[in-house]
Amino acid sequence: MVQSKSPASARNSASTPEGPGVAFSSNSVRLSTREWFVTGLFTLAVFSLGPGLWETVETFEPGPGHRLPYELATDYWLYERYCKWACSKYETLVVGDSVIWGHYVSKDETLSHHLNEIAGRNQFANLGVDGIHPIALEGLLRYYARDISGESVVLHFNPLWITSRKHDLQTQKEFHFNHPKLVPQLPGVIPCYKASYSKRISAIMQRYVPVFAWTVHLHKTYFDNMDLPTWTLEHPYANPLKAVNLRIPAPDNPIDEIPTSWSEKGMAQRDFQWVDVESSLQWRSFKRSVKMLMQRNNSVFVLVGPFNEHMLKGGSAKLYRNVKREIETWLKQNNVPHLIASALPSELYVDASHPLSRGYALLAKQLAQNDSFRKTVLYQPAGTD
Amino acid sequence: MLFHTWPFVLFFIVVYPSYLGLKNTRFRLPFVLAASYLFYASFNPLYPLLIAYSTIVDYMVVARMARSARPKAWLCISIVNNLGLLGFFKYGGFVTENLNALLSSLGIQYALPAPGILLPVGISFYTFQSMTYTVDFYRGNVQRETSLLRYATFVSLFPRLVAGPIERAKNLLPQLRKSPAVSRRDVADGLSLFLVGLFKKVAVADYLALYVDKIYAAPGQYESPALILATFFFCWQIYFDFSGYTDMARGLARMMGIRLMLNFNNPYLSSSLGEFWQRWHISLSSWFKDYVYIPLGGNRKGKFNTYRNMFLTMVISGLWHGAAWTFVAWGAVHALGRFATRELERTSFYRDRMPRLAKQAFVFAFVTFAWIFFRADSISDAWIIIKGIFTAGFADPRCPWLAVALILAVWVYQFLYESRARRILELRVVRVAIVLLMILYLVVFTPSGERPFIYQQF
Repeated sequence: MVQSKSPASARNSASTPEGPGVAFSSNSVRLSTREWFVTGLFTLAVFSLGPGLWETVETFEPGPGHRLPYELATDYWLYERYCKWACSKYETLVVGDSVIWGHYVSKDETLSHHLNEIAGRNQFANLGVDGIHPIALEGLLRYYARDISGESVVLHFNPLWITSRKHDLQTQKEFHFNHPKLVPQLPGVIPCYKASYSKRISAIMQRYVPVFAWTVHLHKTYFDNMDLPTWTLEHPYANPLKAVNLRIPAPDNPIDEIPTSWSEKGMAQRDFQWVDVESSLQWRSFKRSVKMLMQRNNSVFVLVGPFNEHMLKGGSAKLYRNVKREIETWLKQNNVPHLIASALPSELYVDASHPLSRGYALLAKQLAQNDSFRKTVLYQPAGTD
Repeated sequence: MLFHTWPFVLFFIVVYPSYLGLKNTRFRLPFVLAASYLFYASFNPLYPLLIAYSTIVDYMVVARMARSARPKAWLCISIVNNLGLLGFFKYGGFVTENLNALLSSLGIQYALPAPGILLPVGISFYTFQSMTYTVDFYRGNVQRETSLLRYATFVSLFPRLVAGPIERAKNLLPQLRKSPAVSRRDVADGLSLFLVGLFKKVAVADYLALYVDKIYAAPGQYESPALILATFFFCWQIYFDFSGYTDMARGLARMMGIRLMLNFNNPYLSSSLGEFWQRWHISLSSWFKDYVYIPLGGNRKGKFNTYRNMFLTMVISGLWHGAAWTFVAWGAVHALGRFATRELERTSFYRDRMPRLAKQAFVFAFVTFAWIFFRADSISDAWIIIKGIFTAGFADPRCPWLAVALILAVWVYQFLYESRARRILELRVVRVAIVLLMILYLVVFTPSGERPFIYQQF
């Protein structure tokens, strides 16, 4: 504070033509315009080619019945890669939330598995993502599933997402919901989404600049869903390079205990506060997803439910019937092949929407018995009869 | 809207090309002023009212001072107004809290209501900058600025609004008077400065903060090694945080054709505390020298008065950093250190025989020790840390080696930069490689949170 002229600063300012008393910097790395240009080109090359090159060195060998590992549900870069792989191996992609992913069952008990058994071959790929509600699903399909264009898709709508204003993301009060990076980032579109502008822009950048989505993949796959600094705090003496073992974790069952039915778990009937279908944010998003897929030349079959109607109490059963009717009307008006699934036996539900393994088998049968499903999805490829 | 966030990137992407288009027209200053106020409003929509008030008062004070037979009275109005603003917004809570503690200790059952005022971002910086203009005009060191528009731009210029550097009117105002010539070299240099600053802040400072925050949040739970390492890390965190901000500010200004002063010059390589203050937060330390230390009498009236002036300057400087006793203690510790090293430097042994490296190590150790008071949440926490460092036993500090490696790398870089090996660092291939590595590290490995700058809170 109390000082005379510093010899160091004098040397610095004397050595740079910055004008009187204005040194360039104490120890900056200084590039010329041409060097910046070269650096920019090199950076651009690394960032555009890097994620693609990474795919060639990272082992990703999904077997039959594969689904994304539970802990990588928000690794959208991996989802995109998985979509590409699934399109090359399967004829039909089953897309939806944890009901499709199979939250309470193993990977060999999911809907796609049972459908494959009915089809007698590996026709159906499980492209479900745990916790993905229709608004996020729209974002997922729009930004990370472009590769499924032209494919046959079974798109699932889980009525759970319109059982309350909160599920429908209509409340004004902020709360943390799943997959916020996939929802529309314009302020006000989702009333309960109050993320900072920085987070919103970051989510948009991840959609359009693959290198950002790829870095999230690195964090989620190798650093326990943490950024590197936070990870080193947890593992202070570990070598981060060793953590990058270039192997994507196998999809394990997310829950350890054997799942039981909702009534055995002691869950009670509930009076669900269904939102108006027409004004539902989730349903509007779902409709947009269907139209987007159709515009991308996808053959779309929509599966609605099966919601656990045994859980409905009071007037909510009647309201649900109205919901189903309105959904079906829109699907018919838009010539979308569909099935509004009948309720499964009560003991085959774990909660309001997730079936047990036998429930999935019954649901697969319902689908197989549906005429439009048989015609549009469960057909035998030409020449195999 | 901080420099290291996406909203600022978008802001600058929109503002900068428009600025280049307007820089030779009469719309240049209105545009920069509007952009600066918009930038400030992004923190709180009411903040621009405050800076506008401060600007208008000082502009009018100088206008009156120029015509008045009693200019000193007008100067006093400016100083009282600026310090009043600072006192109300920054020290209101601190004063109330201490008065309440005093009343309570006197057994008076009355508590003044807490003001509950939010500290406006950057207020300490722009009030000080505005004061340099009124004081310098009074002293005859600067001409009166006749354009309110230009003066308002000088006070609010967005690259330096949040945390300085505290520019002198005689350096910045003349730059705003003419249309800037922005060369390709300026853009390249600005980018260089910005990138290095971004790396310092996001890759290093924010990383070290993770460890420091953990330990300093509950210092009583940690043993000596963790406390020492956390203090050592904070020493580097605050340097990288603040010098990183300054580099970014200077880089942005540079791209606009404006040269802001150097604020840091490898302070941890200083071989005396006096030199440290010539290298650390140069714009503030020179401000205190010119506007507090010298007016108090400087070193002109004997040893006692010199030390008294030093002590007062350091304590006021500590208080400028924050309204807490920890900052006062930090300033006082530095003042005592200055006395001791000043006396030491008078001995021929210390001055001539002590190796420079040993002096540097001593200064670094002292400055690091003093940071304890700066970072601790309270004086009692600071004592817990000091006691813990010197008395507690050994326990694994669980300190990430990667963080230590990063600090060492920067340290070595600084040493090389001030040595003959600087030629190696200036090779084209080395510079391009360093920049590429920084960009890659920033994109792939940086912390996901957005920590504010430490100094924007002052």
